[in-house]
Amino acid sequence: MADMTAARTPSRRFRVPPALFPYLLSMPALLVCIGILVPFFTAVFYSLQRYRLSQPWNRAMNWGENYLDFLTDPSFWNTLEVSLLYAALTVGIELALGLGIALLLQKRTRVNNFVSIMLLMPLMTAPALAALMFKLMTNPNFGILSYFAQAIGFGDMRWGADPSTALLTVVLVDVWVYTPFIMILLLAGLRSLPTQPFEAAALDNVPRLQQFWRITLPMLTPYLLTAALFRLLDSIQQFDIIYAMTQGGPGDTLMVFQVEAYLTFFQSTNVGRSAALLIILWAITFFLSNVFIKNWLRLRERARGEA
Amino acid sequence: MTHQSPLERLLRGLALVLVVCFFIFPILWIVLMSFQTNETILRSPPSVVFRPTVSNYAAIISGHLDSNVASMGIEFMRNLMNSVILSAGSVALSLVLGVPAAYAFARHKFRGSEDIAFTLLSFRFAPPLLVLLPLTLYFQQIGLADTYLGLIWVYQLICLPLILWIVRGYFEDISPDIEHAYRIAGHSWFSTFCRISLPLAGPGIAAAALLAFIFAWNNFVFALVLASADKQPVTVGALAFVTASGIQYGQIAAAVVLSILPVLALALYAQRYLVEGLSLGAVKG
Amino acid sequence: MKAIRIENLTKTYKGQAVLDGVSLEVPEGGTLALFGASGAGKTVLLRCIAGAVEPDAGRILLGGEDVTGLPPEARGIGMAFQNFALFPHMSAEANIASPLEARRSSRAQILDGVGRVARLLKIDHVLGHHPKALSNGQKQRTALARALVAEPDVLLLDDPLRNVDAKLRFEMRLELPRLLADRGATVIYVTQDYKEAMAIGQSIAVLDEGRIAQIGTPEDIYLRPASIGIARLFGEPVINLLDVIPERDERGVHVRLSDQKLYLAPGYEAAVGRAAVIGLRPEALHFAEHGIPVEIEAETPFNEKTVTLTQTKRGRELFVSRPAGTPAPSEGSARISAAAENAILFDRLTGQRIVPVLHAREAAA
Repeated sequence: MADMTAARTPSRRFRVPPALFPYLLSMPALLVCIGILVPFFTAVFYSLQRYRLSQPWNRAMNWGENYLDFLTDPSFWNTLEVSLLYAALTVGIELALGLGIALLLQKRTRVNNFVSIMLLMPLMTAPALAALMFKLMTNPNFGILSYFAQAIGFGDMRWGADPSTALLTVVLVDVWVYTPFIMILLLAGLRSLPTQPFEAAALDNVPRLQQFWRITLPMLTPYLLTAALFRLLDSIQQFDIIYAMTQGGPGDTLMVFQVEAYLTFFQSTNVGRSAALLIILWAITFFLSNVFIKNWLRLRERARGEA
Repeated sequence: MTHQSPLERLLRGLALVLVVCFFIFPILWIVLMSFQTNETILRSPPSVVFRPTVSNYAAIISGHLDSNVASMGIEFMRNLMNSVILSAGSVALSLVLGVPAAYAFARHKFRGSEDIAFTLLSFRFAPPLLVLLPLTLYFQQIGLADTYLGLIWVYQLICLPLILWIVRGYFEDISPDIEHAYRIAGHSWFSTFCRISLPLAGPGIAAAALLAFIFAWNNFVFALVLASADKQPVTVGALAFVTASGIQYGQIAAAVVLSILPVLALALYAQRYLVEGLSLGAVKG
Repeated sequence: MKAIRIENLTKTYKGQAVLDGVSLEVPEGGTLALFGASGAGKTVLLRCIAGAVEPDAGRILLGGEDVTGLPPEARGIGMAFQNFALFPHMSAEANIASPLEARRSSRAQILDGVGRVARLLKIDHVLGHHPKALSNGQKQRTALARALVAEPDVLLLDDPLRNVDAKLRFEMRLELPRLLADRGATVIYVTQDYKEAMAIGQSIAVLDEGRIAQIGTPEDIYLRPASIGIARLFGEPVINLLDVIPERDERGVHVRLSDQKLYLAPGYEAAVGRAAVIGLRPEALHFAEHGIPVEIEAETPFNEKTVTLTQTKRGRELFVSRPAGTPAPSEGSARISAAAENAILFDRLTGQRIVPVLHAREAAA
């Protein structure tokens, strides 16, 4: 063992200064990060330009003109309205439905666990493919949903093809895909709540409805808030479902921000306007994500603390 | 909730059945449809009684379909292959980039570390088109347009924040003393990272990778904007397929089933980690 | 074997000095017990020596070589952690073998080395187990075996007995000094338990709020504590501390306790008239015919001793301890006298011990 006693001579190779080391580790990720920040600033730049791909000669800075134009542009206000309506509808319905299902599945029984795993399937379905599935289901010739609608007296229901029901149709797809997300978040939240308040309330014979309003809901609030903000951030930017279902149509019924920006870019080739639309959307999400991240961090700390 | 009246039990059971129906039925319906010919699909009223056929799958997998009208080629298997390449490639790159960075963020509170971590996180919440549209123009200039590499790079927008924030949490859960102990025993930093930190965070890394794979697979908009037909994944390909094949409904259904099946299988396999991954670690599953 | 020398080590966390100019020395093969309350900086100091924490300033020398700034793996140190820090995904055997693997020992050497240290620590029957399957005592021994196996010149033990049960702690307290002496390594042993410090350390360093409050032999620390604070940390029951003002008469310097004169050992002339505190260990007091009149309040057995709580006429409480089984009054009035040579005098303002100054003439006498 004598040879082991001698401590190995420290290698005198080049050694990274300890202070630089973490930067070195995160450098590759950092570079990708920068690679993505560049197009972001380019987009800001474009949004301040008169820039149409079809008229490259006409390209020039016009500063805030793209944004000023929005004030008098009815299609912009339509976009804003549809986006907000879509976000509010989907998040509202999903929150109510998700909470209901989470309460239904709260107890850890084998059936409940199985159901909660089954409910992951819609969430794991690509939203674009989910839209496609519902497109098939609402096909007037053989769609099962069309058949049901007919059976209960809505024979002329045209789902996504009709301006009066198009929003309803895409909201239905969104609800189908994303309600399970809210559900599993709230279920995890519900199951992590301390049991003592409920036991105490049960001893005092507090009615269950009152327990829900006075104990469950307040304690669940951070989870509800996180789930709602998370979904709101995604929902206000929804593209996949709407594009796959109707490409924003019929007419401009479903021209939400990203669909409008996409079509403005690729069909009207109006880069400046498209970028300006996206910057406005970004401003909205930036505000929301700041609120969200604060909430999320608090919840994350708590989750890590419990681990 | 110990005393339930029979009525309440009934109502609960009913509600549960309704919930399962609503969320599972569409998938079931598509699966059933994929085993039918157009003839039985178009039957009214719809019926679950039919003679199942695998002809739709056969057509998709073999790549061509001989109908009574015409013979046409189906590129769907290529889309499937693209999805595998893009998702696997993105996750691999994300792991290479993200795991060391996650370790740095977990272990060293260095100057700017939180800012960088949050910037990466904010990518998750920014409108993807904001980055994608300028990128289409850039990609054409630097020759990345319509390449796997270019797409995989853009996919980092979704994969990297996921890997970074989930794996970071797992690294934070490892006691630094365990790493110190291994180094004091005489092992280099790198050897400690490989033999101690990585294995101990292994389950978290695997879960994050699986989730990143699912999200990459399900992505639609990146490839829609940046990829031409021969690089498109199933999400975009299926949509194009609908337009192309028109009325071959059985095949569309089979294509959808083939597209969502791999991800559903993975999700069921990793379901334990799903909650944590979906909420970026904000809620433990 | 390497001597440990720490020079002026400083470490600040968030503006708070955790180590504030710590200097100490452990001779080759010596064992230093590093003692202090939690938060005193013991663990940080140990981590600085091990290389797990970078100090802000100061030097660490092992065997004369400056290792400050060297990575942990280049320092040739063995360390056992308070929380064991075993590698959870490796068997006990692989845990213990890790220092040998780092030294690229052959398979046979590793087996031999692990086997020997495992037999020594009586864990050879659980070598195949993962840490999860080990009891706390086995974990502690595994951690110790891992620190010992490569026969490091310098051994750092961070309160290794903290998280084990009382019986094992007792056994190990007897076993460890022999084990460490056999190894011949230079050892720093961190503990929060004064008895452990006194049992294991050839010398003791008392750390208080990031500074070395006193370094000395266990005897030094117990009989000549540098301050009231240190005097209170060592000894159970706690030392009796009474406010006094030393006086002088023809027989010498004395203090008055309940109108009884207690003559001090020579050398305290300078303390006369100063506000002081006298420290009397409970075992330095005994019941006697003459002495300070007290009322006995309570009596309680304490390990191998019996402790009596008494109260003087002026309401000051005094602990008296004596070997269990020895006769003594157990209630009512009694008198106690003190072994004056064991009295310790402190300055009341600074809390520092007043060191008796012996003139050459008296010292010779």
